Amino acid sequence: MIFPQSMKQLVAVVLERDADQVTRVLLDQGVMHFVSVTEMDPQLSQRLSAGMPRVTEAMVAEIRRRIEGLFSLASQGPPAQTELRVEDLQALDLNQTNRQLDELAAALSGVRERQQGLQQEILKLEDIRRQLAMFGELSVGMQSRSQYSFLNIQSGTVRRTALSTLVEELKSVPSVHLVVGEEENQATLLLITMRRDDGLVNKLLDRHGWTEVELARESLGGKEEVLADLDGKLALFREEQEKLKSGIEALIREKRPELERMWSNLRLNELYARIQSYFSHTARTLIFSGWLPAGTQAPLGEALLKATAGRCYLEWHDPSELPSAQKAKVPVQLTGPSLLAPFKMLVTNYSIPQYGTVDPTPFVFLAYLAMFGLMFGDVGHGLVLALVGIAGIAAYRGASQNIRNLMKLAVWCGGSAMVAGALFGSYFGLGLLPPLWFNYHGAVVGQHTVGVVKDVYGILLITIWFGIGVIAMGLVLNWINRVRRRDWFGLVFDKAGLIGGWIYAAGVYTAFYFAGRSYKQLPPGNFLSLAIGLPVLLLALKAPLEFIFHREQKRFQVFTLIDWGMEWIVEILEIFAGYLANTLSFMRVAGLGIAHVSLVVAFFSIAGMLRGPGGNFTPGSYLVLVAGNTLIIALEGLSAGIQSLRLNYYEFFSKYFSGSGRAYEPISLRKRQ
Amino acid sequence: LAGAVQKYGFINAKLRARISKILPEEQLAEMARAKSLTEAVELLKNTSFAVVASVFSKTGDIKSAELELARREVRLYLELEELTKGEVRAIVYALAERFEVENLKHALRLWFDSRVRGRRIDAAVGYLLRDRVHRDLALDRIVNAASLQEAAQALEGTPYGEPVGRSAAEVAQVRSLFPVEIALDHHFYRQLLAAVNGLGPRDRDIARRMIGAEIDLANINWLIRFKGFYKLAPERALACAIPEGIHLSPEAVAEAYAADNPTAVLAELVRRRYPGLSGLLASREAVESYARLVMIERILAEILMLEVRHLLAGYPFTIGILLAYFVLKSAEIRRIMTILNAKFYNWPEERIMAAL
Repeated sequence: MIFPQSMKQLVAVVLERDADQVTRVLLDQGVMHFVSVTEMDPQLSQRLSAGMPRVTEAMVAEIRRRIEGLFSLASQGPPAQTELRVEDLQALDLNQTNRQLDELAAALSGVRERQQGLQQEILKLEDIRRQLAMFGELSVGMQSRSQYSFLNIQSGTVRRTALSTLVEELKSVPSVHLVVGEEENQATLLLITMRRDDGLVNKLLDRHGWTEVELARESLGGKEEVLADLDGKLALFREEQEKLKSGIEALIREKRPELERMWSNLRLNELYARIQSYFSHTARTLIFSGWLPAGTQAPLGEALLKATAGRCYLEWHDPSELPSAQKAKVPVQLTGPSLLAPFKMLVTNYSIPQYGTVDPTPFVFLAYLAMFGLMFGDVGHGLVLALVGIAGIAAYRGASQNIRNLMKLAVWCGGSAMVAGALFGSYFGLGLLPPLWFNYHGAVVGQHTVGVVKDVYGILLITIWFGIGVIAMGLVLNWINRVRRRDWFGLVFDKAGLIGGWIYAAGVYTAFYFAGRSYKQLPPGNFLSLAIGLPVLLLALKAPLEFIFHREQKRFQVFTLIDWGMEWIVEILEIFAGYLANTLSFMRVAGLGIAHVSLVVAFFSIAGMLRGPGGNFTPGSYLVLVAGNTLIIALEGLSAGIQSLRLNYYEFFSKYFSGSGRAYEPISLRKRQ
Repeated sequence: LAGAVQKYGFINAKLRARISKILPEEQLAEMARAKSLTEAVELLKNTSFAVVASVFSKTGDIKSAELELARREVRLYLELEELTKGEVRAIVYALAERFEVENLKHALRLWFDSRVRGRRIDAAVGYLLRDRVHRDLALDRIVNAASLQEAAQALEGTPYGEPVGRSAAEVAQVRSLFPVEIALDHHFYRQLLAAVNGLGPRDRDIARRMIGAEIDLANINWLIRFKGFYKLAPERALACAIPEGIHLSPEAVAEAYAADNPTAVLAELVRRRYPGLSGLLASREAVESYARLVMIERILAEILMLEVRHLLAGYPFTIGILLAYFVLKSAEIRRIMTILNAKFYNWPEERIMAAL
């Protein structure tokens, strides 16, 4: 669990005629992290050729994304990749697929055009409505047109037989009409148009035998009536638009089974093409290579032998056979229980550890949660955070892995805060139960005089010891990594190596000895000479030994001695200043914890100021407490999370995490997209 | 230092966050490759342009989506005005004036189309931005005005009445809106530079350099149009140049205008100030006027982007971030709308990419 998965390298040679079966097996097994054969041996590129696929991965991916865009139109996602089966893979006809999609796109464009037409009508009506709303009474408007109105309001009669044609033709200009009276042969209309369209409207009215008549004031109706009529028309248009929008979604839903089938085959072909892009070819054979977890070696080997009826050559390599430069390229698969997935995310977000070195995930799990708890120790606040995380997991069921991991992290952090809260006896800032360890609130506000921690200095001391522990753990992990990599020189002389650790341990002892004697006395005898002086002197050997063992084709000169001296001094300064800064950096844990308590105290004080005449809390007091606690959970939760991450990344990882590894990324159907 | 951090800390962090969401080139290329307008718009769904996708899915109308986008940008600038104080607020205010100026130009173009060209503008009126930027412009009076003088009267009490009224006679004479558009550009840059004068020395230098580069580019753009479309006399073209450009003196503009190939002055500018872009000049044989315009626009955009990159890589607590955002966002919106409009007209991918 503390080391990444053991890997094996496969180099395979198969006959060209078996390419299809082999590709299907590789896709079905889904365990190969492919590497280019020519990357292993550049000279091979002269003897091997790349394949000339009929369809490339990029061509297929583009059409697949096109289908995903169509799904998205109906607010749907693509099918789950994990449900695909290699047996369903069929040869692709890209032209046919594109034709089908073009037909669908054309149907959608038709709907869009209708939507756009409606939108234009809506804009015209909105324009006239805006003018009308600004206008005074209609009857007044008909008699004396307002200087600032751009409306033309007129009334007149047309033959009833011409009415429908007139109404239809009026649709070409922004207009509103009300039929205010109908007789046997004639209809009387109130017509409102834009003044700028007078020329066009007059021609139209003349053509239909419009005769102006003056209407009695009472038969005109109010402006509200016309506005209501306009609003009704606008509502109808909008409803029609909404129907068209739903129509698009319905069309996509109707085509979904067919689109899903196309998508699935495209995705299978895309991965198939991706695998084949790693094949290098001779006249009759193909060669490929890649890494896979050691546990999957046997099943894959058997499947390949079966698929080729034994007509293949499989060569398996262990990473230990590789030169050190090649070892760094071995892909890394971090293992561990899925419960630790949020912490794995924190690690991979920083970088991937090198193959064979310690997987920081379990250590980050411990350090991160301990830091968070120390900064945010409260049972109530932790409970809320955990509940938010649980709600988030439920709400983001279909979201990306990172979002779900973030929610799980909130649950873990909430749990950690609850444990710490019980240790400190803090329940929403109240001491409902006695603390299991010490009263953090009491220590901060100066109420606690007995126990392990009496005041804020005690809290600071705890966090410094905690920091020393974390740094020491980092040093030990670095030594383990160096031993596993057989980097003996680094084990001794690295800043976080044995000499660095020796100096750090001596420094810690000296600092506490000095502080414990009221800053007046250093450790006696030859302690300082042996514990600090000697390793510092040993460090002077680093540059010369490096010169001897890792010559880097440099010639020895007089200036080389000066270089060595400078390197030694800089190294000493870096070790002393670096370790001091790293250790003191953990005081931020106390700082945030104290800020957390101070905020709680502040909100309780404000709530106290709002007490009623009898000294009881009023609704206002409770409101302050609820708002205050919410603010604390949001603000302090975020701060504590970020600071814990920062301490892990910069103070802990810097001691042992080389982070130059490559992630193991097999081409597989079982991966979420 | 504390003053600069206090002044710019929040606003620049906010704008930098927005700058980080500017769409990458690959996304634009993918949109250009999309097989239809609907598919191109769909690609914006999970981006900062999601509003375009949302409005388009309701209306099928790309211009309505563009209008909504403009509304949001105006709201952002008004919000930034609220968040800033003193001389920085004056700059934000001056930058936001562009929305008002562009909207006014839009209204005047509609008036011109309706009254001078006799075209129908019914639906187009709906695309005017009705939201208030700094003043309530009587857009309906402008669009429906009988003459440009009447439109100028509608703008009385705003800084735009005078330039519009002053240009009315020339607009009638040349039957083109460019005199009034240039007058409005002059007004925009004049008030922007006035706001810049209120900044401290460091910010003033940065702002002058950036705005000066923009003025140069605006002048070159006008120059190309004068020569290509309006056939203006050299002295008239020179009189139209916006002052306070940083690289191009009036003499250089005049010389460029008189030259047979208007790209000569650009070549000189590129050689002197942006040698890294010389390849763009050499890589195309821009003999045909359309290709030449495309090439020039591309170079101008690259020059501006170089200035922006320089600002973004520099000291973070200056007015530079605000100006960089203004330039980057304007360019981004312009490019996205170019792609969507091109998709509407079924342009091929190559032509779209060339126009970006």
